Amino acid sequence: MISPEAKQELAALLGPRGYLDQPEDLTLYEYDGSVDFGRPELVVFPRSTGDVVEIVKIANRHGVPILGRGAGTGLSGGTIPLEGGLIIGFSRMNKILEIDLENERAVVQPGVVNLDISQAVDADGYFYAPDPSSQRACTIGGNVAENAAGAHTLAYGVTANHVLGLEVVLPDGTVFSTGGKEGDLAGLDFTSLMTGSEGTLGLITKVVVRLMRKPEAVKTVLAIYDSPEDCGRTVSEITARGITPVALEMMDGVMLRLVEEATNAGYPLDAAAVLLIEVEGLKEAVEEQIQQVIEVCRKTKAREVREAKTNAERELLWKGRKNAFGAIGRASPTYLVQDGMVPRTKIPETLAFIQDVAERYGLTISNIFHAGDGNMHPLILFDKRKPGDQDKALRAGFEILEKCLEKGGSITGEHGVGIEKLPMMMKQFPPDSIGMMQKFKGLFDPEWKLNTGKMFPAREPEAAAH
Amino acid sequence: MIPRKAREALIALLGANGYLDRGEDLALYEYDGGVDTGRPELVVFPRTTEDVVSIVNITRAHDVPIVGRGAGTGLSGGAIPLAGGVMVAFARMNRILEIDIENERAVVEPGVVNLDITLAVKGDGYFYAPDPSSQRACTIGGNVAENAGGPHTLAHGVTANHVLGIEAVLPDGTLFTTGGRERELPGYDLTGLFTGSEGTMVLVTKIIIRLVRAPEVVKTALAVFDSNEDCGRTVAGITRRGITPAALEMLDGVMLRMVEEATGAGYPMDADAVLLIELDGVREGVEEQMEQVRAACEATNAREFRIAKSAEERELLWKGRKNAFGAVGRVSPFYYVQDGVVPRTKIAETLRFINGVSGKHGLTISNIFHAGDGNLHPIILFDMRKPGDMEKARAAGAEILRYCISVGGSITGEHGVGIEKMELMDKQFSQETLDMMCRFKKLCDPDSRLNPGKVLPTGSGCMEIRQPPLTEGSTIY
Repeated sequence: MISPEAKQELAALLGPRGYLDQPEDLTLYEYDGSVDFGRPELVVFPRSTGDVVEIVKIANRHGVPILGRGAGTGLSGGTIPLEGGLIIGFSRMNKILEIDLENERAVVQPGVVNLDISQAVDADGYFYAPDPSSQRACTIGGNVAENAAGAHTLAYGVTANHVLGLEVVLPDGTVFSTGGKEGDLAGLDFTSLMTGSEGTLGLITKVVVRLMRKPEAVKTVLAIYDSPEDCGRTVSEITARGITPVALEMMDGVMLRLVEEATNAGYPLDAAAVLLIEVEGLKEAVEEQIQQVIEVCRKTKAREVREAKTNAERELLWKGRKNAFGAIGRASPTYLVQDGMVPRTKIPETLAFIQDVAERYGLTISNIFHAGDGNMHPLILFDKRKPGDQDKALRAGFEILEKCLEKGGSITGEHGVGIEKLPMMMKQFPPDSIGMMQKFKGLFDPEWKLNTGKMFPAREPEAAAH
Repeated sequence: MIPRKAREALIALLGANGYLDRGEDLALYEYDGGVDTGRPELVVFPRTTEDVVSIVNITRAHDVPIVGRGAGTGLSGGAIPLAGGVMVAFARMNRILEIDIENERAVVEPGVVNLDITLAVKGDGYFYAPDPSSQRACTIGGNVAENAGGPHTLAHGVTANHVLGIEAVLPDGTLFTTGGRERELPGYDLTGLFTGSEGTMVLVTKIIIRLVRAPEVVKTALAVFDSNEDCGRTVAGITRRGITPAALEMLDGVMLRMVEEATGAGYPMDADAVLLIELDGVREGVEEQMEQVRAACEATNAREFRIAKSAEERELLWKGRKNAFGAVGRVSPFYYVQDGVVPRTKIAETLRFINGVSGKHGLTISNIFHAGDGNLHPIILFDMRKPGDMEKARAAGAEILRYCISVGGSITGEHGVGIEKMELMDKQFSQETLDMMCRFKKLCDPDSRLNPGKVLPTGSGCMEIRQPPLTEGSTIY
């Protein structure tokens, strides 16, 4: 419970427009992009690092649990409060503070929308590489917390490869900076520790991001298959030839039909699978590579290979992919996105297993994923209103994840562990690894009150207080 | 002093061939590639992870300090014991345990020599990317501890980008693993945190590394300049064209003359500076990029632009670069390699500053460095036998580093903080950040027993300072 005194102090700090406490407003902050729910007691909107420090200190004085929130597009419950308390919403800390093209970096506040960074430097020929499909809404602070990836991280690397430094407010109110403008070159690499810590170690108040030069040329191809196995083999064959596309996205028949109906991107309704392949770089290199890619697709029995000839055509091919989740929404009132990793070489057999799971549970499961790194996203359609349906979906999802682990993969490729996969962390990691994480958590947050209940189980005695 | 019981337990554990304790043997372990020295009281050679755990537990029971050591090629004193104690040398844990080409990774013991990894997977068309110039001797455990770089890390990234997971032992004997076989695993990136922790938090006993496909084509060129400054400006010119070379190494006049005399690599003796440029990738891309690089060099007055026409020519050009430190050794009995970073755009003015420092202290300073990321290596020549020369060299080095910080850079690009740069840490980092590092250190090593006296400044009030034992013959500065 947040005491009236705490509320008063926060209201005094932030002003009447700096917080929300009415039930109808709080419901908007009780969900994210996943299936978990949890309502905060209060949502506050700091405007500066100083505000964040004061909020944390007030929360400490009154024993209030806290957690951070960007745009709430996360897919693992990272921003869902499990114990009420306070949500610190960063939407008002949304300024790009500095753009330094000469040194290929920018300093931004955590509430800046991902795509807005690229748009701000586009005219100068730069972009910010990590591109989650939610990039028109998601914010960089959340990206850092979850170590977000996207279609183009195959070639460019995940968020951790693009963060040079951070400013963080720790649960005790200390402000400290990690890395800097040149990246972490001396001392301990706190930047990499913070990135992907899912909001459990500190609140991010500033991010120094790396900018990349836009490539000279880009070519996009859609390959269409009559069998998912052929599609899977194409992926291995492409990588076997040493080609690294900047994106390699696969959609199975179920998915591409849903997507086509919603977006008219041009995906053929009777295909068993499609592969969206993109190559970037110098003009000559791109020409050469795309020819090799087309050759591979023909060899692995693609029934058609379509090269986007104009920017508009390219946009359309991508529109299908990037709006996939929205397309699902038309077909099913609720769905569960799973996020598992398998070694690239195990993609076809994993797809077969997922098909088997779908049949056994009597659920529709469609597949869309980053084939280049084996990051699968089975989308399990269900109807929350039907009793037992959500449960079935969750169990089906877990079975798939266990299979991913069994094949030498991971329980999450990019969405994070958050709430739902916490129990599976013990299946992925030995107790000594989990023990180390608990140790570090305890160092940053001795009272375990920042974003409690996420990522891994709490350590025994201290957690008993909650 | 190592208590007799501890000594006996260690000898019993490792056997007669598993340790060294005589003066003449210990002397070989009191130095590294830097200028600091410190003698261990005992050197032990574990063969397995279990040995390492036992060593840690035995020494803990007797409160004996410990320091890990690979090949001792480090440049910042990371493997120098400042408080005597036991040195844990990993030379006998030198097996490549597993190579998994299909999944582009390998599992190795810490004593495996860096280049040996590449040699083991070359035949399959792969290599291990981080290539410190000492790679024919240095070991992967040390690479991880120091987050080693190298000329090719410009394009491929430093060691931290190539470590998927580690197995390590804490000073309290806990054995644990971080990361794993896949990239971007869930949980805290402790692998990233421990990589570069300079042997002050854990002893690494196993490393899972990432292998990279060898590029289709590699092209190397040497650009020759009559002015240091023109050479410095070329770097920005190349990156402005959107080209990321696989390597971009600059040698100034002083350096290239020493190198040429030692190696006959083909560097012109009268040049003011040379730029060694390497591009890799698909054939068409590389050829196109090389033309752009040529144009960039001509735009900044390169007097010659030479592309290596064969593998032998390429090897020769690199031989010069990689044997630079050895070449310096012929000219000067002692030298001090500095390691600072400045933003790429500030290279030319930093070189001017270094020139000024050289004049001021009356010491020859030659420059060799990873121009692509502004990582400078001013090499300060001095003669330790001349009274006061060492102090002058250190003072010159510190001045250069302070300048690096003042233009927005860092006190180390890749060699680590270790001993030599400890006292500059508070110039680069705020007190809050240093406190955080201190808290981590205390979490992992509450008794300050593992590699004491490194990285964090003594004034920060962080750790108890262990006094070095006053044994005869020890040379501790």
